[in-house]
Amino acid sequence: MFRQSRPPDPDQDLVTRAREGDTRAFDALILKYGDKLYGLVYHMTSHKEDTHDLLQEIFARAYQSLKSFRGSSSFYTWIYQIAVNLTLNFLKKRKRRSGLSLNELDSAIHQDPALIDSTHEANPERQTNLNELQVKLNEAMQKLSEPHRMVVTMFDIQGMSHGEIAKVLKTSEGTIRSRLHYAHLQLQSALQDAWNERF
Amino acid sequence: MKPSVEQLENLLALKSHERPEEGYWQDFLCEFHQRQREQAAEKSGLVSFYNRVSAWFADLSPSKWAYGAGLAYATVTVAFFLMPKGVDVENAPASPVNYQVVPTAPPVEQLDELDLSPSTQGSVGEQVF
Repeated sequence: MFRQSRPPDPDQDLVTRAREGDTRAFDALILKYGDKLYGLVYHMTSHKEDTHDLLQEIFARAYQSLKSFRGSSSFYTWIYQIAVNLTLNFLKKRKRRSGLSLNELDSAIHQDPALIDSTHEANPERQTNLNELQVKLNEAMQKLSEPHRMVVTMFDIQGMSHGEIAKVLKTSEGTIRSRLHYAHLQLQSALQDAWNERF
Repeated sequence: MKPSVEQLENLLALKSHERPEEGYWQDFLCEFHQRQREQAAEKSGLVSFYNRVSAWFADLSPSKWAYGAGLAYATVTVAFFLMPKGVDVENAPASPVNYQVVPTAPPVEQLDELDLSPSTQGSVGEQVF
C-alpha cells in the first residue's frame, strides 16, 4: 500500500531558524498566525485582556517547546493545538474561579466591528438590523458549551475544514459534524425571535 | 421563523473579519521579548547559582566528603528535634453512663412449652444419675 506523502510545511524554514535562536524568524511566525489565533481565543473568551494574556502564554509555550516539535504535523496545526489546549484549560479555571456572567464579558463583543459591512453602508436600516442580530448571536455563542463554541469558531468563523478541526481537536470528523449540527440548531433557535422581528 | 443554516453561516462568517486594533502586534512583540528576557535572566540566575555551588564543591579536597557527612548529620539532627512528637490526648473525664439494662423476659410461647408436671420436678434431695 502506498502512503500518501504530506506536502512540505511552508513554515519549515522559519521554524528551523527560530529553533536555532533566530528571534526574528519566530516574530515572523507570530505575525503570520497572530490574527488567526487572536480570533480563536477572543471568540472563546470574549475578553480582550484574557485574550492578550493567553496569546502571550501560547507563543511563549510554543517558543520554549520548539525543540520538541518534530514536524509530524504542520507548524500551524501544532501551534493551533497549543492554543486550543491552553484556552480550554483557561476557561475551565475561569469557570471554577468566578462563573463569569455574560454581563461581565467584554462589552466590545456587542459592538462587533466585523458587522460594519461596506456592502450595506448605503442602507443604515439594514445595518442596524444586522448589528442587533449580531448582539443576539454573540450572546447565543456564549451560551454554547465550550466544545460546541470551539467547533463553530473554527468552522464558521475561521473557515477550517472538518478534517482540519478533527486533527487539531484529535477527534473524528463525525464528532465534529455532530457538534456543529447541534450548535447550529442551538444558534438558530436563539436567533428565532430577533430574526422574525428584523426580516 | 428561524434563520436557515446558510443564513446563520453567513452571519458567523462576518465575524472572521475581526482584527485587533492597529499597532497591536508591534506592542505584542515588544512585550513578548521583554517577558522572554525576564524569564531567561531568572533561569540564568538559578543556573549560575547552581554552577557556583557545584564548582565550590568540586574545588574542595577529599575532606568534602567529611563536610558532606557532617552537613547530612546536622540536617538529620535538626529534623529530629523539629519533628512534632505527636499530639497528647487528654483523657476524657469519666462520667456515669446513663443506660439502664432491662433483663429481657423469655417469650410467653417458651414458658408455655416448659413441662411443669409433678413427674418432672422430682423430690427434695433426690438426684437422678
